[in-house]
Amino acid sequence: MLSLVGLHKRFGDVVALDGAGFEVPPGRIVGFLGPNGAGKTTTMRCVLGLVTPDQGHITWNGAPPTHKDRLRFGYMPEERGLYPKMKIREQLVYFAELSGLGRKASAASADEWLERLNLSDRANSKLEELSHGNQQRVQLAVSLVHGPDLAVLDEPFAGLDPIGVDGMAAVLRQLAASGVGIVFSSHQLDLVEDVCEDVVIIDRGRVVLAGTLDELRVGAGFRYLAVAVDGRRWSPELEGIETTPDVQGRSRYIITDDIPIENVMTLAAADGHLTKFALEPPSLSDLFREAVGQ
Amino acid sequence: MSSLRQVFLIARRDFSQRARSTTFLVTLLFTIGVVVAGGVLLASEVGSPDPYDIGVVGAEPDGLDASLQAAVGAFEREAVVRRYDSRAAGEDALGSGAADVLLVDGQEVVWQEEPSPQLAAVVASAVGESDRRRVMAELGLNEQDVSRLLSPPSLDSTTLAEPDSDAEAKQVGAYVGNLVLFFSIIMFGQFVLMGVMEEKSSRVVEVVLSRAQPRQLLAGKVIGIGALALVQLTVLGTVALVTLNVTDVADVDVAALGLQVVVTVFLWFLLGYAFFSAAFAALGATISRQEDLQGVAMIPAFLLAPGYIISFIALEEPDAVVARIASLIPPTSPLVMPTRSIAGDVPLGEVALSVGLMMLATYGLIWLGGRIYKGSILRIGAKVRLREAWRAARG
Repeated sequence: MLSLVGLHKRFGDVVALDGAGFEVPPGRIVGFLGPNGAGKTTTMRCVLGLVTPDQGHITWNGAPPTHKDRLRFGYMPEERGLYPKMKIREQLVYFAELSGLGRKASAASADEWLERLNLSDRANSKLEELSHGNQQRVQLAVSLVHGPDLAVLDEPFAGLDPIGVDGMAAVLRQLAASGVGIVFSSHQLDLVEDVCEDVVIIDRGRVVLAGTLDELRVGAGFRYLAVAVDGRRWSPELEGIETTPDVQGRSRYIITDDIPIENVMTLAAADGHLTKFALEPPSLSDLFREAVGQ
Repeated sequence: MSSLRQVFLIARRDFSQRARSTTFLVTLLFTIGVVVAGGVLLASEVGSPDPYDIGVVGAEPDGLDASLQAAVGAFEREAVVRRYDSRAAGEDALGSGAADVLLVDGQEVVWQEEPSPQLAAVVASAVGESDRRRVMAELGLNEQDVSRLLSPPSLDSTTLAEPDSDAEAKQVGAYVGNLVLFFSIIMFGQFVLMGVMEEKSSRVVEVVLSRAQPRQLLAGKVIGIGALALVQLTVLGTVALVTLNVTDVADVDVAALGLQVVVTVFLWFLLGYAFFSAAFAALGATISRQEDLQGVAMIPAFLLAPGYIISFIALEEPDAVVARIASLIPPTSPLVMPTRSIAGDVPLGEVALSVGLMMLATYGLIWLGGRIYKGSILRIGAKVRLREAWRAARG
């Protein structure tokens, strides 16, 4: 289990982290969200020891992570990069060895990952000869080739096509199923909703929302309501129900938890034959906007 | 996982990737070519000159061959006598360069262009001797008398100052050694600089640094590229020694001098490279864009240039005050001390002092360079100012 407690970090006049903290349990996928400049990359760099926090602490299984512990972490930085002129199999073997695996184990793991990502036939290609999507897959393989206990992935889905996204999501789910704790950042909230059980939202260096998606949805205090009477859209005229445009620009209704649904239903039924009565939980986008005040 | 293993793995990667790069292989092959050509050229300059080709046509004095060989021997040269059927054939030989001079009927000497005074004296002396032998035989002198008349008593020779027959060769050796050192330090220093910058600009550095400390990465890179440099120097040194031995230069014991040059260059390269690569690495860490490269790449060259220039003073006058001082203190010592010690004789104490100061300075620079490297390596984008890098690396 990875725990971050009260991390503070300042770069000159810029406050990057202002008491950020959360946990990544083994076998869980934690989506790490926040607007640009909220402190996601700095937090991840702190976990890897690339940045030393000014205050606060990080523990791995109850103790500050040693260099040896950190070699058991897998890291995919936001700024992608590998050696452009090095053959991809060589890079995988190199990074596996650098993470502490022996030569044979490194070679075996490299081959396994190449196979898994369908890159076996490109094993001896230089990285720069691969397509963007394939380079991204090699980057993921490099961060996981040593079989880490924790994976820290900064924007792993950025720049992938839908098939690439599916592949990446499948790999993450398999990893989590094998007990690896995963934390990844993303701006693609629908994706996060799909892949994650846990969500952490950071804003201006502080964690503003954290928990499982279900908890957060319940805790939001509102739901969406869609009602049709006699096949036509029905507008509730009740205090506490707000109108807000949905994605398509049509108006939809927000119903707060303190309004009894039975009352709304009774009112609607009084107007005619009830043909639709749907309640939807808030989306991650809603939670995100609410949390970061946008 | 020991920290040494990380350094080793990083060094091995830098070594093997760069050793396989086209740039390195082409440079190596080119320099091998230069060394072989240089050795052959040197051998032909310093080595025994070609024998004189002396053409003879028509009547000739008795015993001309023996007289010619004796006369040419006085100049420590050899002669090949070629006979032609006609004057025209002899002149053709002069024209084609097959003969250096043509002796016609033992009476006339024909040249293609400029007469050679030495060769003219050789031919005149040989013809004269043959003539004297003939006259003396006519006078009825016996063989013993002829020899007495023709062999004057030899003179004793004394030289007042002991000449250093190797002085010129030593100068050439020192010059070559200096040149090799200068270019090796610059070339492999640039490799370090580019390697560090490329890791930053390709952003791979963040992946590497999540697995190794900045100092391990720095040390691995410097050691890996340094090992490659030593391989190159060993190959070039071996090629140079083999070339010198095969071409067999006369007089001077070039092989022994060559070995001294190779060993000196090797040792001073280690010291010079360690010192300058720390500077190159620190500077490389402050930049991540190709366009910033020019600006910083010049700095180590400026540091090396004074040593290179003063080496020429040391070449002419190994004990000049400027050369002595510059050979003791960094950053000039890695170029000036080897030049001095090959070209002349340097007291062991001075060499020890120079090496000691160099090691001390290198230790300081590695510490300083390591800190700047650590403070700037993760800052991608604009050039990092040295002061910012210094502050960022606290702790």
